[in-house]
Amino acid sequence: MRRIYSIGGGKGGSGKSFIAASLGILLAKQGKRVVLVDLDLGASNLHTLLGQKMPEKGLDEYIDKTVSRLEEVAVLTTIPNLYLLSSTRCSLEIANLFYAQKLKIINAIKNLPFDYILLDLGPGTNFNTLDFFLIAPEGLFVTTPEPTAIENTFIFMKSVYLRKLKLSLKEANMWHICQEEIAKLSRGALKSPLDLISILTARDPEKGRIFEDLLSNLEFRLILNKFRGQVKENLGEQLVEVCNRHVYPSFDFLGNISYDNRVYESIIARDIFIKKYPYTKTVSDLQSMIRNLTGEEQEVVQVRVQR
Amino acid sequence: MIKKFKDLNYYELLRIPYNASSFEIRQAYKHILAIYEENSLATYSLFVEDERKVILSKIEDAFLTLIDDKKRESYDNNLVSMGEVSDKMFTDKEQKKAIPIFQTNESRTSNNSLTRIKKKIQEKEAADFAATMLKRDQITGKDLKNLRESLGIELEEIFQATKISPTTLAAIEKDDMVNLPPKIYLISFLKSYAEALQIDPKQVVDGYIKNIP
Repeated sequence: MRRIYSIGGGKGGSGKSFIAASLGILLAKQGKRVVLVDLDLGASNLHTLLGQKMPEKGLDEYIDKTVSRLEEVAVLTTIPNLYLLSSTRCSLEIANLFYAQKLKIINAIKNLPFDYILLDLGPGTNFNTLDFFLIAPEGLFVTTPEPTAIENTFIFMKSVYLRKLKLSLKEANMWHICQEEIAKLSRGALKSPLDLISILTARDPEKGRIFEDLLSNLEFRLILNKFRGQVKENLGEQLVEVCNRHVYPSFDFLGNISYDNRVYESIIARDIFIKKYPYTKTVSDLQSMIRNLTGEEQEVVQVRVQR
Repeated sequence: MIKKFKDLNYYELLRIPYNASSFEIRQAYKHILAIYEENSLATYSLFVEDERKVILSKIEDAFLTLIDDKKRESYDNNLVSMGEVSDKMFTDKEQKKAIPIFQTNESRTSNNSLTRIKKKIQEKEAADFAATMLKRDQITGKDLKNLRESLGIELEEIFQATKISPTTLAAIEKDDMVNLPPKIYLISFLKSYAEALQIDPKQVVDGYIKNIP
């Protein structure tokens, strides 16, 4: 069965690409066919984390119709079973995609013939990022234990929900109704998707329920990256509880990923961290994260250094 | 319909059952306070100062109401009369209690079961049972189990007396070859087991070893 995960989180530098790459490597080592899709358009560099030179093919060839199927531009990495779909070679203006192009890419990604499709997203909450994030019904939010990252993650989460609601409301031709109601709110500000749901329900309880169901289809998980000793042990669980209470009740906690300075060193040296330091707390954290995610018991993956 | 935070009742706010004990209420209060207190990282930037004040005072009210038996009763009655919950939910008494530090459970003390075994094994029936078993050339785990059960001894008590792990004991009783310890340990375990049942260790060890290939 094909599983698609988006990996996002609002703040830059929180480790989204590192988590995506590591997840991809570990799943590929289990024998799954995995494709990493670099959707940080205009600032993509997932290949660097995989110790790879700039790929020869990429998303641009699909956009300019050199190839007709998206999977043709996925290149095999140095790790067997792991493919990379890069957007590095795309024109510098690609960050501003046309709507039709975006829809085409989204549909193609959904149909990629792989076991796991991992979407690495850029920071920020622009519409492209949100729409790409929503390709997958299952999203992973990567944050770090700094107030700045947590703040951005809350904003990103709410934006994802509001975007989902807004798109569905537009589809159902109901967005203008909500707009009127939102304008009545103090300073026209929506604080949470729950507010929008209650506006809808007040107008039409049945419709409200339909949209509530729509949101409850989404499954989100939180990863606390760069976890260090001085951070409160249960911060991740607390964050998930807060999200479930104040954003929307569909969050689970996947685990802490320990901070290791060697991750930074590996990136500088363009090495693959998991390969170079397989017996670190960080790697075992990543493995238990995968166990939590896929729900499968798996043998301990051993990744040897290839020389 | 998902309830909004401000509409939660005190029990939903603290995430405790309607029949929660004061122990559970205290625990839940500490838990939620850690999340919403002024400098908490988990709710950083989520609320403006006034919103946080409202939340914290609601948490405070919830705690002070539920922890006070009289106030809690009138609050509960209020919930019932508003039709929010049925009064049955309050009477269902299955509460989580604090674990006592000193647990003095009689059956847990090995001395007690030892004297019990001593008494039992002297009874004719049990003595006969043990004797016929020991006469056999081979002794299986099932024999040991039957003897233990006829003495009215729990596996747990053997564990208390011998400090052999219950899984190992169970493996011995099931002749579970895969999970049996290495022979050298097995011999000493069988000895301790036999001593706990106050039968001849040597005969048990010899008989049991013959029984396994």
